Amino acid sequence: MTNNILADEMNEEKIGTVKEAKDVGPPIQLKNIFKAFGEQKVLNGLDLDVARGETLSVLGQSGTGKSVLLKLIMGLQQPDSGTIRVLGQEIVGLAREQMNDIRKRIGFLFQSAALYDSLTVEQNVAFPLERHSDISAAERKKCVRELLETVEMEKDMEKLPGELSGGMQKRVGLARALALSPEIMLYDEPTAGLDPITASEIEDLVLKLHKERKMTSIVVTHDLPGAKIISDRLALMRDGKILVAGTFQDLQKSKDEFVVKFTNRGV
Amino acid sequence: MPLVVLAGAATGVVLSMETHASLVRFGAKSMLPALLIVSIITESGPIITGLVVSGRVAAGIGAELSAMKVTEQIDAMEASAVDPYKYLAATRILACILMLPLLTLAADFSGILFGWVANTLTQPISLQMFITEGFKHVTFHDLLPTTFKTMIFGLIIGVVSSFQGMRAHGGTEGVQRAATDSVVLSALFIIVADVFLVRLIQVFFP
Repeated sequence: MTNNILADEMNEEKIGTVKEAKDVGPPIQLKNIFKAFGEQKVLNGLDLDVARGETLSVLGQSGTGKSVLLKLIMGLQQPDSGTIRVLGQEIVGLAREQMNDIRKRIGFLFQSAALYDSLTVEQNVAFPLERHSDISAAERKKCVRELLETVEMEKDMEKLPGELSGGMQKRVGLARALALSPEIMLYDEPTAGLDPITASEIEDLVLKLHKERKMTSIVVTHDLPGAKIISDRLALMRDGKILVAGTFQDLQKSKDEFVVKFTNRGV
Repeated sequence: MPLVVLAGAATGVVLSMETHASLVRFGAKSMLPALLIVSIITESGPIITGLVVSGRVAAGIGAELSAMKVTEQIDAMEASAVDPYKYLAATRILACILMLPLLTLAADFSGILFGWVANTLTQPISLQMFITEGFKHVTFHDLLPTTFKTMIFGLIIGVVSSFQGMRAHGGTEGVQRAATDSVVLSALFIIVADVFLVRLIQVFFP
């Protein structure tokens, strides 16, 4: 209930702040993206569209620019060339204030969870709410509790991140990412480094959130079996581009040697 | 605070011992309180405070922010639509600017007090007389500009250490590099800035 109130409040705020953005077409659109770090070319003419409400998993070998792709969508890094439209707004070169209006509508789960290590679990989740909503302290506390209940971490509200396991940190990171009721959710390796049971729990959580909140999601992962379960569509990256995108069945039908190798080894 | 007070006390004692011997040689022993107080207020107190704080605070800010940077906490803050430069850097810079003059006053006080103690051990003199004699030649023109110039030292410490922390990369080695560079560059810039500030004060407060 509190989350619904907050979502309405946030949506009203968003409508007011990003008036020029027209939410038509895919909420995430990348065209001809190039990105290099020094001599190392990471993205090499990448094109990608993600439909509204869709969960897309991006797979590929390590170092192919999957995490960079998410950071570009979040505006944490800038491409060398190409266009990125997020929620109807071109974000390349966008001023910080305007980019922040977009960021309020996106949740980001970092690979390392990236929790603020000097704040408790409760303070971590409350952090975006304190800065971007006008709800009272009591409502905020209730909202944080509900978010932590969603990820089954409500018993550890007073703990510091250093006292949590990797899987627990990911859950708290997820609760924090969901705090502003985002329309887009970006997951960077949500199950990396976790044991199979915890990884499966995180996957169930992602699936549950997708069903309940109808968010548009991109999941960067190496875990093909997990991606198969949580995604509507999969995209396989190679040489800085999307080599193939489609359902798991589409990937299986591919005759490309790399796709065949990846799908056979991954399952 | 304890570090600054201790550094100020040590400076006061050393100044007292060094100048006592010199003044005795020139038959100007009675000038010691004034010389000590002027010396501490105009230069020793501010510069010692700046250097001690640069060692303690710049290392702390540099290490903390760089650790946040390499563990993606600063990226997470940006992802939460919070400007880390305002939230993390501006607050620390402001704190440094505001605290340096106060710490300088503490160092000045401690330096004068322990300068008197050191002086009294060789040539007993009451604290009241020491202060009265010493402050005869001191005006607000001596105290205020030299105390407030440490706000520039605070600005240097805050900006340099925040900059080093926010641009850190490369894991643990990056944190170590950011912390070291924060201290070294802050101290260096403080010393260089002091040269210009002393001249400026001499021009505007002759």
